[in-house]
Amino acid sequence: MNAPASTALQQEIAQLIIDTLNLEDLTPADIPPEQPLFGQGLGLDSVDALELALALQKRYAIRIASDDKDARRHFATVASLAAFVETQQQAACAG
Amino acid sequence: MAEASAAGRHWSLQRERGSLLLMRLTAFAARRFGRRLLSPVLHLIVLYFFLTGRQARRNIAQYHDYLADWSGRDELRPTTGRVFGQFMAFADCLLDRLDVWGGRLRLDQVQLLDPGSLRPQLVQGRQHGRGQILVGTHLGNLDVCRALAELGERVPLNVLVHTRHVAHFNRLLGEAGEQRLRLIQVSELDPALMLDLAQRLDRGEWLAIAGDRVPLHGGRSVAVDFLGHPAAFPQGPWLMAGLLRCPVNLMCCLKIDGRYQIHLERFIDDPAWARGQRDATIEGWVQRYAERLAQWCLLAPQQWFNFYAYWQPPAPQGEPDA
Repeated sequence: MNAPASTALQQEIAQLIIDTLNLEDLTPADIPPEQPLFGQGLGLDSVDALELALALQKRYAIRIASDDKDARRHFATVASLAAFVETQQQAACAG
Repeated sequence: MAEASAAGRHWSLQRERGSLLLMRLTAFAARRFGRRLLSPVLHLIVLYFFLTGRQARRNIAQYHDYLADWSGRDELRPTTGRVFGQFMAFADCLLDRLDVWGGRLRLDQVQLLDPGSLRPQLVQGRQHGRGQILVGTHLGNLDVCRALAELGERVPLNVLVHTRHVAHFNRLLGEAGEQRLRLIQVSELDPALMLDLAQRLDRGEWLAIAGDRVPLHGGRSVAVDFLGHPAAFPQGPWLMAGLLRCPVNLMCCLKIDGRYQIHLERFIDDPAWARGQRDATIEGWVQRYAERLAQWCLLAPQQWFNFYAYWQPPAPQGEPDA
């Protein structure tokens, strides 16, 4: 399966990751939507995740519940993060 | 440490034994009988803890030894009398805490040493946005720093604690008429908590957290030199500061000649780390903090109220996953 072109939101999130975590030598194109962010992929760790979560929450006015068992899955890739942000925003509009 | 099993008992377990019961008892008794009647009773209780707490006595003696070595001051060597004095100072500290809670320790009885003029920043927190972090210590009386909430007038002070008894303490605080102070339980830094804290800072509220105790679970720690020997300190306060990007100040409240002195000083203006330098940066801050703490220990050698085995190798670190 070919990697689909990244959406505007995915690019935005990739840029947010770069800005938040001071990855100055990267561009959004260097973080493909399906590349794992943690461990083998981009090599982020749990504190990076926290920093990223804080930035995402502020930027998109969403809230990541502390007991969210799926948090790990949401933070797996840029694509999953984008999907998560979209769901949260829709939920916020609906609610 | 040879007798690691007993010596290594973690403070959060050790404290569960006496502290909560003691605070509850004394809070009740203080309301009921007042300090003058309560004082002998509490001193008896602390005497009991002194006589039965062999390990705590050893831990304090070790602290005195390290302090004497580090400072080159032989008169600080531990004696039974000096170790006992430490326990009595703790009883005195508990009584003072009750006075603070009951609003009987007034602001004019406390001397504020604030060379960097942080107090005006605290007072202005409400109007000018950004709050700050205060890192406290169990040297001296942490509770008197509550007077800071009063110093800050209408600015709420959020105290981050590891205890599971937050609801209980908040109720005690409420009963004591304390409204500007809020306890927030922190066992682990998580996204929801960080957002909550960030919002509080944005509203100009301040956060206070102790920098000298490693939490039992989910705690990252770092070992630095303290009084000449490696000791584990929590990374939490510094991670928090770096993530929230707000100024960090140190505070310490010592009883000198029967009068409380609050030391308040700027520690980091803009906490941040370069990519890949996080651990090294935090270790540098913690080392500097430990050095400052050691200097304060010399001002009030008997007010070190960490009765557990302080110099322990850090627990093996598992990377707590996101």
